[in-house]
Amino acid sequence: MRKMATLAIAASMVFTLAACGSSNGNTQQNGSASSDASSGKVRTLKFAALETAYGKAPWQEVAAAFEKKVPGVKVDMTIEKNIEDVIGPSMKSGEFPDVIHLAVGQPKGLTETFVKDNNMADLTDVLSMKVPGEEAAVSEKIIPGFTDTTITNPHNDGKTYLMPMFYSPTGLFYNAGLFEQKGWEVPTTWDEMWALGDKAKAEGIALFAYPTTGYFDSFFYALLNEVGGPEFFGKAMSYSEGIWQSPEATQAFDIIAKLASYTEKTVPANGNKDNFTKNQQLILDNKALFMPNGTWVVNEMANAPRADGFKWGFTSLPAVANGGDRYSYTFFEQIWVPAKAKNQDLAKQFIAYLYSDEAAAIFAKAGAVQPIKGMSEKLEGDNKLFYSIYDNGAKAAMGAFTSTAPVEGVNISDTVFGSIDSLVTGAKKQQDWVSAITKASDALRAAQE
Amino acid sequence: MASNRGRSRFIFFCLAPAVVLFIVFMFIPSIDVFRMSLYKWGGYTDTKTFVGLDNFNKLFHSDKFYQVFQNSILLIIVVTIVTFALALIFAGILSRTKLKGRDFYRTVFYIPNILSVVVISAIFSAIYDPNNGLLNSVLQLFHAVDEPVLWLGDQKVVIYSLAGAMIWQAIGYYMVMYMASMANIPESLYESANLEGASPIHQFFTITIPLIWTNIRTTLTFFIISTINMSFLFVTAMTSGGPDGATEVFLSYMYKEAYTNSSYGYGMAIGVVVFLFSFALAGILNAVTKRDHLEY
Repeated sequence: MRKMATLAIAASMVFTLAACGSSNGNTQQNGSASSDASSGKVRTLKFAALETAYGKAPWQEVAAAFEKKVPGVKVDMTIEKNIEDVIGPSMKSGEFPDVIHLAVGQPKGLTETFVKDNNMADLTDVLSMKVPGEEAAVSEKIIPGFTDTTITNPHNDGKTYLMPMFYSPTGLFYNAGLFEQKGWEVPTTWDEMWALGDKAKAEGIALFAYPTTGYFDSFFYALLNEVGGPEFFGKAMSYSEGIWQSPEATQAFDIIAKLASYTEKTVPANGNKDNFTKNQQLILDNKALFMPNGTWVVNEMANAPRADGFKWGFTSLPAVANGGDRYSYTFFEQIWVPAKAKNQDLAKQFIAYLYSDEAAAIFAKAGAVQPIKGMSEKLEGDNKLFYSIYDNGAKAAMGAFTSTAPVEGVNISDTVFGSIDSLVTGAKKQQDWVSAITKASDALRAAQE
Repeated sequence: MASNRGRSRFIFFCLAPAVVLFIVFMFIPSIDVFRMSLYKWGGYTDTKTFVGLDNFNKLFHSDKFYQVFQNSILLIIVVTIVTFALALIFAGILSRTKLKGRDFYRTVFYIPNILSVVVISAIFSAIYDPNNGLLNSVLQLFHAVDEPVLWLGDQKVVIYSLAGAMIWQAIGYYMVMYMASMANIPESLYESANLEGASPIHQFFTITIPLIWTNIRTTLTFFIISTINMSFLFVTAMTSGGPDGATEVFLSYMYKEAYTNSSYGYGMAIGVVVFLFSFALAGILNAVTKRDHLEY
């Protein structure tokens, strides 16, 4: 009898264990089974998003509005700060969300992985779809230029795989109050910038600081547009041969190397994700004049102490020559559909709906601005100043290094931007930096489809 | 006969849960690391291509990997030697002398071990801060330096700054371990040594160390494993591998390649190398520290 009991206990332990191991799979099977069984009536759209500063609420509100607009649809939402870890395991076993809102440039690189693996659904036809509940097509609502960047059309085949969502202009942030006090002009060319740098140095203020080297992406992309125009930028982004030895590229590298010598010396010590706010604090404390950043910095530093008379100022990059073009890089998030998602038609409909006035108003309430025509006029406060940068003569730069098939051990962002720390500390020379970039660029060109 | 069979069946079922757990959570994942290192795979989807030993070939031709290897080995050596020496000395002092407040010191030394790495990183980020940091303020007080030292910003210094935080965190743990085995050494040995006029330092090297040797050997293996693991946590929380890769270590590089660079297979290849390296290093250390077992 006792033996039987122990046997039973041991057996039950094994079973609970087995149940533990597979419980995850079970619920998922149930989930998909129920949606299949009732596909005639209620269709379930599985939506996954990264929880960002805007929070979950706007998405929930938009999903509810979508369910109302399109009857017979239920939006099943997963919005998490660690969305990659939440949806990762089920994707490995072949269960994909229908729509994913997750931008490129995250540390876990999930979106890049899908781009590189060619695992995204073609969304070109979404552009010609009518926005549910409205007369206009999606392409008529989106600000021109947003859907022909190297980010949204990563494979260079004229097809759009990622749709642009919330955008934010980036550029140089400064203390406008300090400029008023000192009677300084905000420089419009790099020559004026250096002159100002020397003037500020005499007063013990550094010209430049950056939160982390990662913030140089927008800076570098805008600068490439200034030195060589959009066509040159496009070539550089697709790793064109010899591009980094061209006079335009050399001019850009010279500017960054010179800027490194004008950078506040302690910046590399705090240039990591734990301490980068100390670098941003340099601007608020009048210890440095300019930093590259995005509009989110205002919220990020909202509670930080600041110098008397501090007022946020925001400008595009200075031009390389008098009367030259000035650029401000536009950072935007993306939404996309995995190629193996089950409800792709519904997913496309949902994405089209996100560009409706109704949805845009809900997002704008939370401070999330979509690239929809006429949106910037509806903004208030600091945001009005920031988003009006393009009305004041700055051109918009968009796009990033093209995704290629993954090349092991080669990371172009680390090579181009990460090394700027070394330029500031003096551990690396400009020519070593450029030759490392050339080497990485060559390796990636070979991996391009 | 029947009862014998019943007995083995009983043993089998008693062992089954543990064995199943071990196989499912330890054995299969470890084998999987080896298997996945042979694929080119992004890590998130089910698309993968078999590439044989390609990943390893690329790994051994990568300058970046050698830099990472150097950083890791430097950390293992520095952290192990310093922690080992200090922990042993402190343990010797605390268990052999009649120091006032012994228990207090023991607790204080152990506290860093209870703190989470994120807290320790925040503490050390504050200590190392170039402008308002404790360390620079003290140095400037004594006019030891003119310019602030960039503890986390200077490529030549930053790896030692990291080691400093790791040593501070680890000392207490090993000290308590050494104290535990020192407490087992019979008092009579020290008494007779005293009678024969051996100094405390002489006693430490001829009695204490030989008699806790087994313990020391075990901790050496711990040092290797924990330095590899902890350095990842400290790097992630303190420097993100910066500036410009100067503090990139094994696991942080593996993470970057596996996830950020969408090369999961390559990341696993790094994992395999780390696995074999730590195994080999532990094996070598074990072999060279082998001594005849002393009994008391």
